[in-house]
Amino acid sequence: MNNKYKIMLVEDEKNILAFVSTLLETAGYTVISAHTCSEGKMMFSSHNPDLIILDLGLPDGDGISLLTYIRKSSYIPIIVLSARTDESDKVDALDKGANDYITKPFGSAELVARVRSALRTRHYSDESSDFTNSIFTLGDMEIDYDARRITISGTEIMLTQTEYNIIALLSQYSGKVMTYSAIINAIWGYNDEGSRKKLQVNMANIRKKLGAVPGKQSYIINKLGVGYQMNI
Amino acid sequence: MNDGYSEVRKIKKNIKNIGIMMITLVLAFVLCLVIDNYFYNRSLIPAIFVLAVYIISVLTEGYTYGAIASLISVLAVNFAFTFPFFKFDFTIHENVVSAVIMIIVTLVTGTLTTKLKQQEAIKAESEKERMRANLLRAVSHDLRTPLTSIYGSSSTIIDNYELLSDERKLQLLDGIKNDSDWLARMVENLLSITKLDGGKTRLVKTPVVVEELVDSVLQKISRRYPAIKINIDMPDELLIVPMDAMLIEQVMINIINNSIFHGECTTTINLWIFSENNKCIFEITDDGKGIAADKLKSILSGAHLTAENTLETKNSSGIGLSVCNTIVRAHGGEILAENIKGGGAMLRFTLDMEETVIEQ
Repeated sequence: MNNKYKIMLVEDEKNILAFVSTLLETAGYTVISAHTCSEGKMMFSSHNPDLIILDLGLPDGDGISLLTYIRKSSYIPIIVLSARTDESDKVDALDKGANDYITKPFGSAELVARVRSALRTRHYSDESSDFTNSIFTLGDMEIDYDARRITISGTEIMLTQTEYNIIALLSQYSGKVMTYSAIINAIWGYNDEGSRKKLQVNMANIRKKLGAVPGKQSYIINKLGVGYQMNI
Repeated sequence: MNDGYSEVRKIKKNIKNIGIMMITLVLAFVLCLVIDNYFYNRSLIPAIFVLAVYIISVLTEGYTYGAIASLISVLAVNFAFTFPFFKFDFTIHENVVSAVIMIIVTLVTGTLTTKLKQQEAIKAESEKERMRANLLRAVSHDLRTPLTSIYGSSSTIIDNYELLSDERKLQLLDGIKNDSDWLARMVENLLSITKLDGGKTRLVKTPVVVEELVDSVLQKISRRYPAIKINIDMPDELLIVPMDAMLIEQVMINIINNSIFHGECTTTINLWIFSENNKCIFEITDDGKGIAADKLKSILSGAHLTAENTLETKNSSGIGLSVCNTIVRAHGGEILAENIKGGGAMLRFTLDMEETVIEQ
């Protein structure tokens, strides 16, 4: 009974709270809910949840402040709920440590899928925080971190150093949406005017090499205007 | 920077206005000299200067230039065309009276034309206001229909939960889902419009890879309409276009939604993207029934959102394409709608590939 994942939902809208908790309970999760930032802080330390779904617009302050508070002490997966117009808020939340975001309005299937994928991320980071000695698999794709080699259905994909580094980075944070600037900083170590273009060119080549077709699911999900995410 | 820029523009405008004034006055003066020398007729001269002042008032901005021109005219007439010639003389009563009359006539002319211009501006503004009111009225009506159905269906289910068969309940719930989906899309459109409203907030363009834009659009469309086939034809080269990605995504989604919704029998959509003369061209065609001939002209401008619209339901052409028009124009691009041979509609919009630098 107690092996169910526990999800903390921080949301002030009564109706959304009701629908999301019903949905998650039906999907087999235990749900605890908080209505404000301060309640969220309290419940986080007392209940020790496995995942947090956080609305950015809370009555007693910005959801971001709760996010930074939790990130000081924990790597728990956090999914942020946001409205479409808050494009910069999404990027901000991701850069401050959110794993994923869902844009309102969202459907039930979408939410459950994100929750599953975020919980799987947690699974990865629990097993080992050291990725360098392992092999990462996603569908037909296999990344050998030791040999710095990527194969799809056994066939090696020829990549440049940078291309490999980008894919490896995304795989290490698979399930987490990586913003453009986060990737740029991790790969090149600095972020200047030309960086975005460099990333775009490299990603275009990676897509070609991985055989991505626009509109079809691929290994790497393109989050327009925000960043990229390795699908898991 | 911005201030310096507007300062330069102001000076340029002033120079232009002064130029117009000087040229017109000189022409009038020369004309008067010619008439004076060849026809020996001075009765025409004040009339010519009044005409010149009128032209200056029409062509320049504000009262100032008209007033200055009227003063110069009076001086010029007094100096060159009244006795004593080529000498200022305000001691002769006749000259003073004619000067006063001329000043009054020219000032009145200047004032009238300025007022006329102001009235035209007000008229244009109120026309815009009327369009906005129409749009709001159409939208509010359009919003009420799905809301009625959502409220009605859900309260029906709650009040008659035991009485309704499961099948019936599912049917009502499905209606609720579809209507909310439609509402969500409508709200997206309204948000896009308010984002651009009045051009107060400047569009923030970032370089976007067209392939990623198309991918994002298709992910959304195929989730909503899995049965529709979409063919893509785009060049292998990397196309990067500066844009507000969310808004242009909205444009493409609106166009495709429209094709599917109003094309009625649409099964296939073709998306053709290419670059030409440093412009990126997006052409979206479908195999539906096309756009009704009487709507073809008004569909982009939103002019069809008039009184008749209040009778239509969400199956009307709605605001989708006029939102596209607003967004593309705000990007400095162009959009056009046509029917293609053999049925089906074609929507094409173009965006500049390179950010044109307007300010220093």
